[in-house]
Amino acid sequence: MAAAEKQPVTITFAGPLNGALSCALTWVDQRFPMMTLWRDHLAEYYAPKNFNFWYYFGSLAMVVLVLQIATGIFLVMHYKPDAALAFASVEYIMRDVPGGWLIRYMHSTGASAFFLVVYLHMFRGLMYGSYRKPRELIWIFGMLIYLCLMAEAFFGYLLPWGQMSYWGAQVIINLFNALPIIGPDLSLWIRGDYVVSDATLNRFFSFHVIAIPLVLLGLVSAHIMALHEVGSNNPDGVEIKKVKDPKTGHPLDGIPFHPYYTVKDTLGVVVFAIVFCVIMFFMPEMGGYFLEYNNFIPADSLKTPPHIAPVWYFTPYYSILRAVTEDFVWALSLAVIAYIALLLRARAAYAVGVVVAAGLAAFIPGYFFMAPHPWPAVLMAGVATLGLLAAPAGAGVWFRRLLVAGMLVLLAGFFSIDAKVWGVALMGVATLIFFALPWLDQSPVKSIRYKGALCRTALGIFVAVFLVLGYYGTQPVTTSGTLISQVCTLIYFAFFLLMPWYTRMDKAKPEPTRVTW
Amino acid sequence: MRIAGMLVALALAAPLAVPFTAMASEEHVKLDRMPADVSPNDPVSLQRGAQVYVNYCLGCHSTGYMRYNRLTDLGLTEQQIRDNLIFTGAKIGELMAIGMTPKDAKEWFGAPPPDLSVIARSRSSSAGSGADWLYTYLRSFYRDPSRPTGWNNTVFPNVGMPHMLYQLQGEQALKTETLLQPRGGGKKEDALKIEVQKLVLEKPGTMTPAEYDRLVADLVNYLAYVAEPVKHYRQQLGFYVLMFLGVLFVFAYALKKEFWKDVH
Amino acid sequence: MADKELDQSKRRFLVVATGAAGGVATVAAAVPFVASMLPSERAKAAGAPVEADIGNLAPGEKVTVEWRGQPVWIVRRTPEMLETIKKSDDKVADPKSQRKPGELTPKYAQNEFRSIKPDVLVVVGICSHLGCSPQDKFKAGAEAFESDWKGGFYCPCHGSLFDLAGRVYKNKPAPDNLKVPPYKYLSETKILIGEDDSKGA
Repeated sequence: MAAAEKQPVTITFAGPLNGALSCALTWVDQRFPMMTLWRDHLAEYYAPKNFNFWYYFGSLAMVVLVLQIATGIFLVMHYKPDAALAFASVEYIMRDVPGGWLIRYMHSTGASAFFLVVYLHMFRGLMYGSYRKPRELIWIFGMLIYLCLMAEAFFGYLLPWGQMSYWGAQVIINLFNALPIIGPDLSLWIRGDYVVSDATLNRFFSFHVIAIPLVLLGLVSAHIMALHEVGSNNPDGVEIKKVKDPKTGHPLDGIPFHPYYTVKDTLGVVVFAIVFCVIMFFMPEMGGYFLEYNNFIPADSLKTPPHIAPVWYFTPYYSILRAVTEDFVWALSLAVIAYIALLLRARAAYAVGVVVAAGLAAFIPGYFFMAPHPWPAVLMAGVATLGLLAAPAGAGVWFRRLLVAGMLVLLAGFFSIDAKVWGVALMGVATLIFFALPWLDQSPVKSIRYKGALCRTALGIFVAVFLVLGYYGTQPVTTSGTLISQVCTLIYFAFFLLMPWYTRMDKAKPEPTRVTW
Repeated sequence: MRIAGMLVALALAAPLAVPFTAMASEEHVKLDRMPADVSPNDPVSLQRGAQVYVNYCLGCHSTGYMRYNRLTDLGLTEQQIRDNLIFTGAKIGELMAIGMTPKDAKEWFGAPPPDLSVIARSRSSSAGSGADWLYTYLRSFYRDPSRPTGWNNTVFPNVGMPHMLYQLQGEQALKTETLLQPRGGGKKEDALKIEVQKLVLEKPGTMTPAEYDRLVADLVNYLAYVAEPVKHYRQQLGFYVLMFLGVLFVFAYALKKEFWKDVH
Repeated sequence: MADKELDQSKRRFLVVATGAAGGVATVAAAVPFVASMLPSERAKAAGAPVEADIGNLAPGEKVTVEWRGQPVWIVRRTPEMLETIKKSDDKVADPKSQRKPGELTPKYAQNEFRSIKPDVLVVVGICSHLGCSPQDKFKAGAEAFESDWKGGFYCPCHGSLFDLAGRVYKNKPAPDNLKVPPYKYLSETKILIGEDDSKGA
């Protein structure tokens, strides 16, 4: 609509200032889509009326983002991104800058709060199928935000230049070392030096302070725009736009975001502020999980602390990384063979037979010959290939050949490239596999409320496994810990990779047409 | 098919039952706890700790992030600080630095004595707080002729620091005692021999053990304060902030309830 | 309906109350951020008073001491210099230092020579025009900028002139006399710059 034809903006709450305010706002609205934005995204954005506890975390994530940016701006006024001065500048902020201690604690508590809120926000998505069509792009933007957030935290953590900062960065960058051929040069390029040093600190500062925050702001905007284009999901997974009021054209189960959700989210922010302040004022270190004890020792490139662990929000992936030992690669190979059999829709008995035979082919020579010969691996790969090419299967011929060829390449890779590289790869895949969720979930219903026991159990086990992996990531390496992490890693991937099957097998309940509370 | 699936799930879930305690833990010396009757906010204890620190420790260990004038927190005036706690020509607003360079320190001592500004935070662990560690450490020195300083420490084996407070505590020695733990059979020869190491005060110092413990507690109290001088204020402010947030919560809740009456 | 009206006023009350409480919370939350931009303890310590030893300062000589990042000049004036000050009253814009007394001239400098002791001048060596540091021109005699120059300071940036009591000449770009910093004598030969004995001079 042309600017000149717009309705003037009417204000009613400002008393004697009404006229002047109306004039000013009308002037703006004729030159900027102010009222359109207000209507489309707040006053007339119809959201489902049955949002529950799990729906607070989106707005809270935005609050924490603003908090981190605001506190970050003020910290950068005093922080010195120089290896010789960084640690001291943080103590300067804590002691000499008026109110500096509070800003620092807000930022450190905020970092952990950000991840807690984001994990709960993602869990809501998992539970209610918020990633299902037509919301796949919202999910993708969200996953990109998650990846950027992990990068932002990683880069930010180097800045205090404590022992944990330094050695954490050293270890993680050295992961790239493990990549074949390009590894060492890539690490050198990332670091800007032969070890983590001032050069690394300066570029991480740039990424943390400006590069990633800009990307994050862009992605968050895209995330919300994509959401508003399609409309929000709800705990019942029911599309409210399908049932509209004939008179107004608004969804019957929808309520305008403003004032209902502005008011409800305000309450959410206050409760969040209470929890946040309890932590920030009374236990900002959180037992060494939010502010690690080793980080109160200035970085020393010659002395590694006895126990390096990443910050708590990275620990599940760290567990997966450490779980991939040389022994585990065998289990992984068998799992891959079994999965290919599944993808080929091979008959159950044949599939089991192939896997068992491949396993025996690996185990028996390996057990008897002891020395690291390639034979067990070659035998296993050979048995699997022949078995799968010959087994009666539902998949087409070319598809079958392609899959088996891919499997061979993967198996060859498993046994020729170091296990630690596969650890990095698996850790990467563990993060990236979330992207595939909209296409892996083949259930006829969206929300966990209407899914059957199989899906519910799967999600429950996944959460348990994620927490267990997280716990073991904080602990030093032990034999039992590694074993448990390995089992949990397999379960973690099974949750995603078997989803097309168990979501179809699952006995879903009928979805209602209208929302329930 | 369902039963098979469930059996597989069960088999996979079974290892989760492995008790979490079945893990090797790090080597942790058992730490004594700071005495409960020493309040972190007691100005007398903190002032005494500051005095001990400046007299015995500041020669080698800087607290380079702490300014002298911050010690007014302890109830001292600037003049009192100048008269009792500044032995160099430093001005009242300056940092509590030392003259020894890290390079020289490394040459003379092997490892430079660390700056102790945040030692009470960095020494925290699952075995105890940083203050507990320091309290135990400063009372665990013993004579060891095999070390260049002549001293060793059960909490920090082969530490490069000599026992600065030995005149006060006296000299301890590490004695190995063999305890016999009788086994079921009843025969004395079958008893399990356990070696226990204990610190024994061989030569008394000018303070009784109780007095020395109190001195160390005050010193550690001071170090805990130096690690985070704003801690007390932080907790006080937190109390008021939470009171206010409680009020804000009441209003926000009432507001939400009122508006949501519309929604059915 | 009576119900709806009650509701509306209750709603308005709650919106205002929550809004007000929220506003208080926002202002309170802003306090540490705004405060963090105030001078830190490090800045305050660096701005602490500075001692100057003038035991070896010969008559006619000037020594410069740094205080709060600014040059503070201490000049031991000769009796001849003091005479020229007396004679310059008609050449200077503010002979009795009446402009901005609180800012530029504390009580103990509200005198003929703008100093505690007549023979020692203590001023901040920054031109009151745009902040350059003027040059010494103590010798009396004809100069390019003034034919009847009695001695003082010449600012090269825009030509402002100051006499030996730091008073600015008439019709020059600089509006004010040179600032006399807070200072006091710790002894005959020691001056403490940055602190004075008066309460809020």
